[in-house]
Amino acid sequence: MTEDSTKDIDSEEDRWARLMRSAQAGDEADYRELLTELAHVVRRYLSSRFGRAEFVDDCVQDCLVAIHEARHSYDAGRKFRPWFFAIVRYKAIDVLRGQRRRRDLVTRQAHEQLSTEQILETNPLEAQIVSGYLLRALSPDYRDAIILTKLKGYSVTEAAAQLKISEGALKVRVHRGIGRLKRLVEAEKL
Amino acid sequence: MTSDDDLIQALSRNLQAVAPPARIDHIWLGWLVLSAAFVVGVIHLMGPVRDSSLDQLLSGGRFTFETVLGITAFIAGSLAAFRSAVPGGLSRWLARIAVGLLLAWIGFYLFGLYSPALEPSMAGKRDRCVWETFVYAAPPMLVAIGLIRRYCPLQPFRTAMAAGIVAGMLPALYMQLACMYVPAHILSFHILPGLLVGPAAVGVAWVWQFAVARRSQ
Repeated sequence: MTEDSTKDIDSEEDRWARLMRSAQAGDEADYRELLTELAHVVRRYLSSRFGRAEFVDDCVQDCLVAIHEARHSYDAGRKFRPWFFAIVRYKAIDVLRGQRRRRDLVTRQAHEQLSTEQILETNPLEAQIVSGYLLRALSPDYRDAIILTKLKGYSVTEAAAQLKISEGALKVRVHRGIGRLKRLVEAEKL
Repeated sequence: MTSDDDLIQALSRNLQAVAPPARIDHIWLGWLVLSAAFVVGVIHLMGPVRDSSLDQLLSGGRFTFETVLGITAFIAGSLAAFRSAVPGGLSRWLARIAVGLLLAWIGFYLFGLYSPALEPSMAGKRDRCVWETFVYAAPPMLVAIGLIRRYCPLQPFRTAMAAGIVAGMLPALYMQLACMYVPAHILSFHILPGLLVGPAAVGVAWVWQFAVARRSQ
């Protein structure tokens, strides 16, 4: 990390902490400014890790709501970033776990696609989904299972049929893949 | 205006001031002192207490180490449980140390099955220590959950489990001095019920969350 980027992080940290203290006191303008900045940060953070899936839009909004609901728990004597990113990381995994079916993201023809490599070759939208470096860090088995069920919205039966595995095996892959993603997210130094 | 902007407008409109709660470490320290005083007080009040325990403790042998390890595990575990109530408050190293110390403490008693730290004896035997451990842990556990809920535990059930286990550790730890010293008895009549306070705490947290959700409907 360069000296300039460390300075940027420090000044950001101070500004966010100040804005949050002001928001805790009820200042609407400062709170709006803070949430606007944080929304951009969350979007960048999630897009770089999980790709530009629709999931990111949902997650940004969920994070903003979670920050709003947790704002009383920010301790002005502590750093802002660990508090903020703990909420973002938790929400990202939470949203991914509870992601509902998203049939509108893909057409039915996408059913024939079997692997991430094929996805990348055939559909730019889906290429964006798997462009996140955290998803790329997963093994292809876990990645495909998560992409199909959590990001593209296929049912367990549909996804299992596409990957030619049993439903039980698919559920195990999704569960383990999310667990792995969670560990990767938590292991990051921010 | 994007949907993010709409949401931000909605969240910031008529923003209410919120009073930041007291520092979590201060709350933890207060809980620790009062809970320890309560458990020690009630165990002495209900009696009996093993007469030789103080001398054994001061002997400086393995029993002393076992006790100090248990106290350290309790301190680290309870601090970790309380800090997990604040987003980003619990560092990974503290969580690992707390779990490691708890496992080491239990491991000592498992090792004690083959090579006890003290000569096993019935001195100080309490007839209902298994229930006492569970019952005396209940007030500290309920207070801990009540305090933690004022913050923002991101994983409320995991935090409740941790709070329950440390609340259960407290009487289990003191039974080490008050009740008879036989590792198999300690494991099954003190430590096991102490650990079971963890799932009980999860149940309490679940009921609490359910009741709050129903009231807000």
